[in-house]
Formats: sequence, C-alpha cells, structure tokens
Amino acid sequence: MASGKRNHKLQEEEQSLKGTLYAVFGIGIFVIASWFAVFSIFTDRF
Amino acid sequence: MNNSTLLRVDKRDARLVMAHMYVAFAALAIGGLMGLLQVFVRSGRFELPANIGYYQVLTVHGVMLGLVFTTFFILGFQAAAVSRTSGTFTAKQRLTSWIGFWIMLLGTVMSATMILLNEATVLYTFYAPLQAHWIFYLGLTFIVVGSWFVIFAHMAKYAQWRKENKGESSPLLTYMVVANSLMWFVATLGVAAEVLLQLLPWSLGFIERVDVAITRTLFWYFGHALVYFWLLPAYMAWYVVIPKVIGGKIFSDSLARLSFILFLLFSIPVGIHHQLTEPGITEFWKFVQVVLTFMVIIPSLMTAFSMFATFELRGRELGGKGLFGWFHKLPWGDARFTVPFIGMAAFIPAGAGGIINASHQMNQVIHNTIWVTGHFHLTVATTVLLTFFGIAYWLIPHLTGRVLTPQMNKLAIIQAFTWAFGMTIMSGAMHWAGLLGAPRRSSYSTYGDAAQAMEWIPYQIAQAVGGTILFLGIIFVLIIFVNLCWFAPKGDEEFPIGEVDKDAEQTPKILENWKVWITVLVALILVAYAVPIMDIINGGPLGSKGFKLW
Repeated sequence: MASGKRNHKLQEEEQSLKGTLYAVFGIGIFVIASWFAVFSIFTDRF
Repeated sequence: MNNSTLLRVDKRDARLVMAHMYVAFAALAIGGLMGLLQVFVRSGRFELPANIGYYQVLTVHGVMLGLVFTTFFILGFQAAAVSRTSGTFTAKQRLTSWIGFWIMLLGTVMSATMILLNEATVLYTFYAPLQAHWIFYLGLTFIVVGSWFVIFAHMAKYAQWRKENKGESSPLLTYMVVANSLMWFVATLGVAAEVLLQLLPWSLGFIERVDVAITRTLFWYFGHALVYFWLLPAYMAWYVVIPKVIGGKIFSDSLARLSFILFLLFSIPVGIHHQLTEPGITEFWKFVQVVLTFMVIIPSLMTAFSMFATFELRGRELGGKGLFGWFHKLPWGDARFTVPFIGMAAFIPAGAGGIINASHQMNQVIHNTIWVTGHFHLTVATTVLLTFFGIAYWLIPHLTGRVLTPQMNKLAIIQAFTWAFGMTIMSGAMHWAGLLGAPRRSSYSTYGDAAQAMEWIPYQIAQAVGGTILFLGIIFVLIIFVNLCWFAPKGDEEFPIGEVDKDAEQTPKILENWKVWITVLVALILVAYAVPIMDIINGGPLGSKGFKLW
C-alpha cells in the first residue's frame, strides 16, 4: 500500500508541468513589464 | 513506399535540397560581410572604398539575408521534410522543384547583378518612389514565381500521400510545410501584384507614376507574412525535431497543428501594423489590423507552453526534481538542441518588442528608428537563424552521408554563444539608440553636431563591436558548413522526427480540412484589406514619378 502511494507520487512528479506554468507566466510578466516601460516613454513624449 | 525512404531522404531528393543549401550559405557569406561593412560605416570610424555607397551595401545585406538565404534555406528544408516524412518525390514532382530552383536562381542573379551595378539601391523593402532598374524587379518576380513551382511540388506530394492513406492524419512535418506554403502563396500574391502591376511597368517607362500608398500596402500585405514564412520552419524544428533530439515526445500533435492554422490565419491580414504612421489609411482600419496582429500572441504563447512542457516532461523523466530541476537535465552538450534553444530564448525579448511595435499609437516611439532594426535582428537574425543553423548541423550531414563530429559539435555551440553575445551587444545598442530617436536606414551623420545625434554615437560604436563579433560567428558557421559538405567523416546522421505520446488524443479531422481554413483566411483578408485599399484608390493623389537618389 505504502509503495503504491510512493509510485503514484513519483508518477505525479514525473508528469508535473508546474515549471512550465511558471515559465510561461514569467514570459507574460516580462512582456507586460517591457510594454509598460515603453508606454511610460510614450506618455512622457506625446 | 518502403521503410528506407521513411528513414533517409532519397539521394535524388538530397541533391535537390543541397542545391538550395549551397545558394543559401553563399548568400549568408556575402550578406554577412555587408552587415559588417554597415556597422563599421555607422560607427563613424570607417569609410567605404571605391565610391561604394552605404545604401548599396544595405540593399545587398537585406536582399541576400532577408530574401535569398531565408527562401533557399526554407524551401530546401521543406523539401527534405516532405521527402523524409511523406516519402520520396515522384520524377514529376522533383522536376517541378528543380525548375522552380533554377527560376529562383536566375532571379537572384538578375537582382543581385543590378544591385552590384548600383542600379537598384532601393533598400531591402524596395519602397516606391525610389525606383530600381526593371531587371531588379523582374528578378524578384522570378524568385517568387520559382518559389511557387517548389511549393506546388511539396503540396503535390502531400496530396498524393493523402490519396494513398485515406482517412489518416498526415505526417505532422508535412502538414506544417503545407500550412507554411499556403501562407506563402497567398502572401506573395500581394508582392506579385505590386511588382507586376506597378513597379515593373513604372520602371520600364510604360506608366509615369505609381500610387505610393498602394505599393506599400501591397508590400506589407506580403511583408509581415514573410516574417512568419521565416519563423514557421523554425517552429517545425521546435515542435517536431527537438523532442526527438532530447529523447522526449511531442507534447501535442493537435496543439501543434492548431498553432500552425492560427499562424496561417493571422499572418496576412495584419500588414498595416507596419504602416501605422502612414497617411491615407484611416485609424479605424489601422486599429482592426492591430487587433488581428495581437491574435498572433495566442499561437506564440501556445508554442512557448508546448516547448516548455516537452522539456519539463523529458527533464523529469531523467530525474529532475523541484520546480526547475528538470532544466539541468536537458542535453546541453548537443548542438542540435542548444543552438536552437538559444534561438528560442531570444524570441522572448523579440516577441515583447514586436508587441510594442504593433501597439498602434505607441508605434510612434520607435517608428523608423534603429529599435526596429534591433527587433528584427532578434527575430529573424537570432531566433530563426540559430534554429536554421541547428537544423543544418544534422540535415547537411544527413544529406551528404557524413556525420557531425564532436569537434564540429563543440564549434557549433561556441558559434551559438558567440552569436548570442554579439547580438546582445548589437541589438541591445540598437534598441536603446532607437528609444533615443536614432533613425534606421541611414548612414553615419552627426546632423550638424546636434546634441541628440551625439548621444547616439556611443551606441553606434557598440553596434560595430557587436557586429564584428557576429561576423566571427558567420565565419564559424561557414567552417562547419564546408566541413559537413566535403570533409566530415562518412557516416549516417539521423534526421530526427519526434513521435507523439502513445496516450495522446486523436487529432481532430477539422484541422486538416483546408477548405474551411482557406475560406476563413480569405474572409479575414477581405475584412482587413478591402475597404482600406478602396479608400486609398478613391482618395489617392496623382501618384509619384520614380526617384534615383543614389
């Protein structure tokens, strides 16, 4: 029973896409931050 | 179809593909050298000898790398991809490809000759009212028409495969080639119309004036899709080849196909985002195309998710723990993975820059500044180029019956890091200088020692430093290319094709129903372009005579 649980946990770990989720969030944040940086230049100049 | 044709590209097809590669890498050598000369001139420390003009060098650089290298490499790679995944070409299909190749080559020679004779210094985008010699425009027409022959041959192979395998889902790589070829065909209709109906008769003297806004609108109808014509073959390698190289599986066949369909739909009706400061197009239609442009973010993020998922699943399979432990488990010593990976990483700032460029009024901050040059040196000259190099490192030995040796593998990785380093300096300096107002497409000038122009000079020197490092990268890649063509040891180099996970869901049939997607594509193009083009024609001024300012 205990070993079954361990196997299940191992399989879950192997199929986890947590890192992918955080990486794609990271890209999204970078895109938004860059956009607002240039937007602030835009509002200053125009 | 026997099994050997599935694993190896047929020798006759290999010869066809290699013919494309020789032209592509010759163009890379010439275009790269011109790039080096450009950054030297813009540093203000160097002048071109023998009355060679800066804008002539710029035209050679843009045409050789943006049109010749990319088109020949892509069509060669696509031929290999179709031959490998759908079986060898029939004699008729191969002959059609060869005819297309020779027409493209003739067109390249015609255009290149006129540029070298200084009869076609009209910059890479050949904007009217700058007027080139008619042979330059005819040569460009030949390049486009030749490419049609080549893609028709690829699509004929696909049609044959579907006929022979009724009801089955086509090989993913061939499917992607078809999506990219369809997009290319529909997009090139715009530039063909521009050249055949306007620029060619105008340069021949049959008509005196052209409507500049129409020429630019037709150019960008093609021009933005051209960017995706470069990018989609890189995506083919990311989705299909990379999973096999790292020993993993394709994350999702359906997701890959859907993202290609979205690129097909949203790459063309968006060209006006390159003309956001152009008079004669109303704000409403600019806004419509800005919204359509932003739709491309969806398949881009789908691709990012899919790639990270492939990497994470493989990395965890190899024992990677924690949130990012899997990252270290990837095969960083393998150039076939590392080189395109650096290209993928570059696409993050490149994509962010693209969204800024397309953001309607915000485009005024960067329009016609060297920021834009910095942007496309990240997209095409890093993301696409490094992925193409990564492809070449297994494709060329596969075709020539040789192998990538450990020494060449090492040099390939050094090449990619050299490129990334040089590009960070050059493109970074271009982005910053662009934000300070430095113009693109302009030779060195202090503009009468204006204070603002003096601010740009340190960045121009940084561009020269970065450009020199990049040229070193070109030398490395040419050494590898020559080695893989003629000197590497004989052997069998794999053409890696990833497999879909055995538990994956069946791919929906609608994704292969081209009638539906072509109808949607035509509808989107009509919505985005019909009224703006009618407005330009109805409200158009007299038109412009040709100018030769060089």
